[in-house]
Amino acid sequence: MKRFLIPGLLVIGLGAGLGWQLLPAPLPQAWTPQEAALIQSLSLSQLHALSPDPSNAVADNESAAKLGQLLYFDSRMSGNGEVACATCHQPERYFTDGLPLAAGTALGPRHTPSLVGLSHSPWFYWDGRKDSQWAQALAPIEAGHEHNLDRLQVIRLIAKDRDYSERYTALFGELPSLPATPQAASPLGNAEASASWQRLSLAQQSGINRAFANLGKSLAAYQRKLLPGPSRFDEYADQVSSESGISGNGVLSREEIAGLKLFIGDGQCISCHNGPLFTNFEFHNTGVLAIAGQLPPMGRYDGIRLAREDEFNCLSDFSDAQPEECIELRFAKDDNELVGAQKTPSLRNITETAPYMHGGQIADLTAVMQHYNDAPTSMLSHNEAKPLGLRPVQLSQLVAFMQTLTAPLNVDPGWLVAPSQ
Amino acid sequence: MTFRNTAAAVPLAILFMLPVSQLWAQEANYSIQTSKGSTLDVFSQLNPVVINRIHSWELALTGPDESPVTGAEIFVTGGMPDHDHGLPTLPIVTRETSPGRYLLEGVRFHMPGHWQLTVTINSPQGDEIGLLDFEL
Repeated sequence: MKRFLIPGLLVIGLGAGLGWQLLPAPLPQAWTPQEAALIQSLSLSQLHALSPDPSNAVADNESAAKLGQLLYFDSRMSGNGEVACATCHQPERYFTDGLPLAAGTALGPRHTPSLVGLSHSPWFYWDGRKDSQWAQALAPIEAGHEHNLDRLQVIRLIAKDRDYSERYTALFGELPSLPATPQAASPLGNAEASASWQRLSLAQQSGINRAFANLGKSLAAYQRKLLPGPSRFDEYADQVSSESGISGNGVLSREEIAGLKLFIGDGQCISCHNGPLFTNFEFHNTGVLAIAGQLPPMGRYDGIRLAREDEFNCLSDFSDAQPEECIELRFAKDDNELVGAQKTPSLRNITETAPYMHGGQIADLTAVMQHYNDAPTSMLSHNEAKPLGLRPVQLSQLVAFMQTLTAPLNVDPGWLVAPSQ
Repeated sequence: MTFRNTAAAVPLAILFMLPVSQLWAQEANYSIQTSKGSTLDVFSQLNPVVINRIHSWELALTGPDESPVTGAEIFVTGGMPDHDHGLPTLPIVTRETSPGRYLLEGVRFHMPGHWQLTVTINSPQGDEIGLLDFEL
């Protein structure tokens, strides 16, 4: 008998170890009142109406949204005539591109974020260097690796296109009178465009800037239409209470419910991915590896400084807001906690928007869960997240829960395609 | 005056003795006792206070004798001790809206859980400090 003892103990030990790794823990009969409240707080039915944007007088104007939609899908808005906003923010991919790094006229330094529900965010870009959706919309047009155009050529395009100029004039009044030369000019352009910009009068510069800002405001009006639709999770969350059984209305599997329990509990995901959009739109350093070939970015630490200096921010001449309405910008913090911090993305439709993180560094959701379980040391400053010590089966449950957040958009289909003029 | 009239007059008299603002204002969301026995009542303009919405607080400062304290400088800092991080914004008292009432602008909380704020008050009666713990 003795010769079977050690192998037998080994088999039992291995079995117990494997079981601990792979067997799910039993679920309780019901949610606690605190858990039920947290689950309800995540439901899309709890999403407040989109706040007005005082810096954009046409934010909720249908004609502006239509002009914005035309611009959004128009590849003439690029230096090579091949790149539109929709090139990277593709409607059929929940307004992402499926690539680690954005590819406009050249390969960019950051992953394309989804635009769905983004109009609820007070800050734009991964590092929050823009404080409005209209100010953000202007930057890619002039970025060398995105549209690679300049503001003077953009206004020339609007002036030459009869449909555009009529729509523009109806919304904002006359276009500025444009100089015969130069053809291209921008303070942010290459040396030639920049020198051309300096030769324009201040009045010409101001007129071009104002028209350029108005196009950004139209693009923002369009993007405010892009809202998420209710998913299986919402159907479950809307009937959850501490009195009802944990299985609820049966729309979620046991594995998905176990993932939800971890999401609001031991996984601590809800700390940042909270509210109906599963994001606090704030900035956190979670120890994500630097993007290959790049230094670790300073993140929001630089982003808030850039937002304060931005020529199109809420306090600028081109904003429609009174200074006291620029609350986010006036009371933004800028301390060392923000070094290496990137904006929390929404988890709505997350299964359809791989790869993940600000540089698309992580290919799939399983690897994302492993990253948060490990919480590696940050290359810059400190990782706010701490190791979770979750078992493999629990990481799988979290991934399963992510599947419940995908749904068709809550958008009239007419807004999701290139419009005919 | 009959007994019935007198009975009606007493509550009416009390009603008119109360300052109107206190009578009709919302209940304080939070109340902080300071190190020198003053009281700082917090009236949130977002009521109830929820996460992810930037808003303002009105702070009502009264001394130990319950009279409004005017001309104070009030600084609010804080964060989540369990997460080892601060507030997501830099809230600032921008003005005293009426004697003893101060407007704190730029308040936002970005996570559910335990928050702890430290209020530092510099007033003509000296420096004092107060702590506020609450759950969101």
